[in-house]
Amino acid sequence: MISLGLLVVLFVCAGHAYAEESLQVQVAEPFIEWRRGPAEGYPVIHVSERGEWLNLLIRKTQWMKVRDSQGREGWVSVDDLLLTKEGSGELVSLVEPRFDDFSTRRWEAGLMMGEFESTAVNAAYAGYWMTENLSAELWGSQVLGSASEILMVSVNILHQPFPEWRFSPFFTLGAGKTFIQPKATLVDESNRNEDTVHTGIGARFYITDRYFVRMEVKDYKVFTDRKTNEEATEWKIGLSVFF
Amino acid sequence: MENWTQRIFLVRALLAALIFTVSLPAFSADIDKPLIEPDVHPQVVDESLIDTENFEAGIFAGVIKIEDFESSFIYRARVAYHFSESLFFELNYALAEGGETSFEKLGNVQLLSDSDRDYRYYNFGVGYNVFPGEAFFTDNTAFNTNFYLVMGAGATEFAGDSRFTVNYGAGYQVLLTDWLSLHLTVREHVFDIDVLGETKTSFNTEVSSGISFFF
Repeated sequence: MISLGLLVVLFVCAGHAYAEESLQVQVAEPFIEWRRGPAEGYPVIHVSERGEWLNLLIRKTQWMKVRDSQGREGWVSVDDLLLTKEGSGELVSLVEPRFDDFSTRRWEAGLMMGEFESTAVNAAYAGYWMTENLSAELWGSQVLGSASEILMVSVNILHQPFPEWRFSPFFTLGAGKTFIQPKATLVDESNRNEDTVHTGIGARFYITDRYFVRMEVKDYKVFTDRKTNEEATEWKIGLSVFF
Repeated sequence: MENWTQRIFLVRALLAALIFTVSLPAFSADIDKPLIEPDVHPQVVDESLIDTENFEAGIFAGVIKIEDFESSFIYRARVAYHFSESLFFELNYALAEGGETSFEKLGNVQLLSDSDRDYRYYNFGVGYNVFPGEAFFTDNTAFNTNFYLVMGAGATEFAGDSRFTVNYGAGYQVLLTDWLSLHLTVREHVFDIDVLGETKTSFNTEVSSGISFFF
């Protein structure tokens, strides 16, 4: 509880700090609308005319909180702020992460879900792009079957031939370990650890900002110490972020 | 006569040009120096100086009804990232403990060991702010509010096993300040369970309230 109190105090301090040294912009269009909150659904509460100076306070998604010379506060769309001037007289240019950054970034991470041999699978991964085309990834997945729970850890190499495409297909190749825990309600089954290798194909689709959707199908070969090896097919879809 | 006049003008023009050329450096130095030096430095808007508050972290407490295993307290941690004014992504992790079935109480038997009664879940999913609004507490005090819907998937660990779990629900959020908010949520967690013999779909309703911080 003490740490929570401390957290609150810290937040209050942070709240005061930003008010001190705020950036100013001047309205360049005939007028700019203010809203009560950071969304299109909130009512318009005020309008700033051309030439007025506004202080930029904080940003939430596509909205900026502003304060005018009389101390009034409200939310302005970032798109509208592109129509204001900064101190040098130039129009304000707020830089958003864009598709160009998508093809030059180095790190990515994501969460995915899908099916592993018709049972549900949840997975998380992180990857590092060594070149535009080639990345190395580390995966952790949990397969939640009706007879067993399977935990998988794997590493793989991923190649995308067309990094400049917004919808970019890729191929992947990797190896890993699986830990199979049979259900508690089953008798006479013991835990098993197996080695696996896999191949896969998939695609990444850039949405906006720093986010993209990723989908993939992987074919696993599980090396068992029984007479035959096992094969499994997995598909997943998820949301990824690049840094 | 005409020639004479021309010569006078030419000589004067030449002289003038000469004087001008000689005095030019002095002149230009004067032009460069404004009468009043402005004390203002043009300010450039640097986006990195603007505080963005798209992340939200929260702690929740409430009650979950675990099908066949009574109701119990539940504690949940939640992290959300807001993509846009409407859409957000969230991660949840929660802890609770299942009670006893009626069968266990009446028959004085124990179906699950104490450690198997621990109920834990994680999930990730998306949410959508459907009705942004304002709540008026007094004539002069109004808080921004959101009514949101959530949907996601994850796993529930209960009765010795992890089970794939789908969850959906709705919440009401009151933003006390730009960085502090209160939540009230109702969520349904659905998974298949076979601990009482045959497999059945278990519906577990969670009602919880919490506090969250934007950063």
